[in-house]
Amino acid sequence: MRQLFPAPAETTAERVVAELSGENPLRFGDERVIDFLGKLARRLLAPDTARAYPELAALGFFLRPGELRKVLDTAPAPDGGYRFPRGLCFHVPPANVDTMFVYSWALSALAGNPNIVRVSPRVSGAGAVLLDALAEIADSAEPAVASTQRMVSYPRDPAATGAFSAACELRVLWGGDRAINELREHRLAPNARDLTFPDRASFAVISLAGWQAASAAERRAAVEAFYADAYWFDQAACASPRAVYWIGAGEMAEARDEFNALLAEIVALRGYALEPAMAVEQRVAGYGLAADGRVRGLDFGAGVATVDLADPADPPRQWLAAGTFAHTALSNLTELAGLVRRTDQTLIQFGCTEDELAEFVAAAAGKGIDRIVPFGSALRFDPIWDGYDLLREFSRLVTVRAR
Amino acid sequence: MTGLLRELVELTDYHRDRCPPYDRVLRALDVPRGLPGAGLEDLPWLPVRMFKTHELRSIPDSDVFKVLTSSGTTGSGASRIYLDRDAAGAQTKRLGASLRAVLGPKRLPMLLVDTIGIITNRREFSARGAGVLGMATFGRAHTYLLDEHDEPDIAALKDFLAKHGDQPFLIFGFTFLVWQYLYEVAREHSLDLSNGILIHSGGWKKLADRAVDNAEFRARFAADTGLTRIHNYYGMIEQIGTVYLEGPSGDGLYCPDFADVIIRDPLTFEPQPIGEPGVIEVLSTLPRSYPGHALLTEDLGVLHGIDDGDWPGKRFSVLGRLPRAEARGCSDTFTTRGTAA
Repeated sequence: MRQLFPAPAETTAERVVAELSGENPLRFGDERVIDFLGKLARRLLAPDTARAYPELAALGFFLRPGELRKVLDTAPAPDGGYRFPRGLCFHVPPANVDTMFVYSWALSALAGNPNIVRVSPRVSGAGAVLLDALAEIADSAEPAVASTQRMVSYPRDPAATGAFSAACELRVLWGGDRAINELREHRLAPNARDLTFPDRASFAVISLAGWQAASAAERRAAVEAFYADAYWFDQAACASPRAVYWIGAGEMAEARDEFNALLAEIVALRGYALEPAMAVEQRVAGYGLAADGRVRGLDFGAGVATVDLADPADPPRQWLAAGTFAHTALSNLTELAGLVRRTDQTLIQFGCTEDELAEFVAAAAGKGIDRIVPFGSALRFDPIWDGYDLLREFSRLVTVRAR
Repeated sequence: MTGLLRELVELTDYHRDRCPPYDRVLRALDVPRGLPGAGLEDLPWLPVRMFKTHELRSIPDSDVFKVLTSSGTTGSGASRIYLDRDAAGAQTKRLGASLRAVLGPKRLPMLLVDTIGIITNRREFSARGAGVLGMATFGRAHTYLLDEHDEPDIAALKDFLAKHGDQPFLIFGFTFLVWQYLYEVAREHSLDLSNGILIHSGGWKKLADRAVDNAEFRARFAADTGLTRIHNYYGMIEQIGTVYLEGPSGDGLYCPDFADVIIRDPLTFEPQPIGEPGVIEVLSTLPRSYPGHALLTEDLGVLHGIDDGDWPGKRFSVLGRLPRAEARGCSDTFTTRGTAA
């Protein structure tokens, strides 16, 4: 097993567990953690890094001391009570979203926990840059931080996963449903529990009235924001929109055509290079939906594949291909509320009013959609994720009543 | 309109009438019936992977005579190709006709560069096994070069050559096996293969790290074993019976007269001019029991010329596989690549 943090070394699961089993020197909201994450933030916000990897810049922004203190303010100790670290946390982040492991780990560290993070052996690109940045600042980390935080990488090793699972108080599992089910076969201690982030689907909604009321510049800005939401992780992050719902009473065709034309223009302008294999993937996905009778029409432009969905109640929830959008229409958001499922995560919206959104949430009544954000914020990490307030999940409360 | 185009246009409507999922795809694409004014390059094609994700056939259940399956290496399951009695017969007949162009009318003694286990081990019946079995019909006096441990059986090879080596004989095998076992063994033992006709397929990827390409392959066989009649071929289970055979001088792969090939731009899918690499589309009038008459493969190729080589028609090369699209999503998991837990 390879240890990546704090110092690169060969190690074993037993050793890692032993090293983290002593007394935990960290407190909830520990200044030494804030300081360390601040150093990481500065590295990630360095101009060269930020330019090459905008997702690292976003992460760097999130890790600045001021931002972390704002997050801490959202989880005060209750009246007459105390908030403490939960205990040893074992994180298994998704293999391919390079930066996710840091959000999960950083918030847990901020809560004062010792952490074991299993980093994918396939980490590359932004993830590799991130690990380099961590390695560079490892030496200057306070002993309390270095001695409690471990990032390791190992291929399939049920014994190691079993040892970490048995030792932790909280296990944080990200990934596909199958991976999570497989990982959950490893038993936890009786007092421990899982926090799981399985497969999710996300949608976009555009208010027809809102679109029509928007100026040309606003429409363009909206599509630019949509582009970032959809194309950043090849449309495959859980929060990436797959189906696009046009909401309103009128005829959508004109607005939709304008939206698609703007999107094609922005895709070209940003120099998004659709790989040949992805172009084929778009066809396989679109033709497949058509063969299944779920499609009225298909259109393949440069970098943008548009599926005209036959039934708004049957949106594709699985990943199709980068740049593939299933468009459909509903007369109001309440209709959409009737269609959402527990596995639906993010709604990115343009042009809806606060009242409309509040009505939607009331109608959906928590049976689906955990998060509604404006266009451009789909991939922005939030300390409340999949409906969980992470700092609270990562901590425990002690209440005191003297009489 | 050429005969081939007319037949393919008719076949498109024929499959639309019999395969509802296929018709739904073409309707979604707004493809008109009868394809008025269409050229070969305007015919709608299906991505070949559709045969892995969907059951596509133009014959009723009761007529299914044989289901061919090929497991891809991509992990997305196997293609399922449905044949009725007529289609199964037609594919053998057409394959035979294509091969007779280089083998002549008589069945020749046949050396198979493989192990007999590849066809007798039904439990692990593979695409390789299907290829060997399909080709074995066109030879006689079959000799398998590899023993049960995949080791070359030199005695059997020498015996075969002693019996049949002084007259034309057929050699068949997968390119890398032919190189690794037949070439190296024949050179080492100074065997004379000059009466052989080699038919091989399977791609150059495994030979690339030995710096062996088609030209090198042909030159070394000629120089070290006397074997000069070499025909690479290209074909796939989704268009079973249609083989694109290499011309005698090795100047490219040629289409049989009931088939054609179009190289397409990998992003726009517009036809590429001669010399420009792209994704290979294969067209064949042979598939009548399933809508596989116009397929976009996941192979890259390049057109070298038209009517300017060994045989009339287009000549082209296969350059390799299109790399698989990989998404960077959250649901990309440790398990999908077998490293979970």
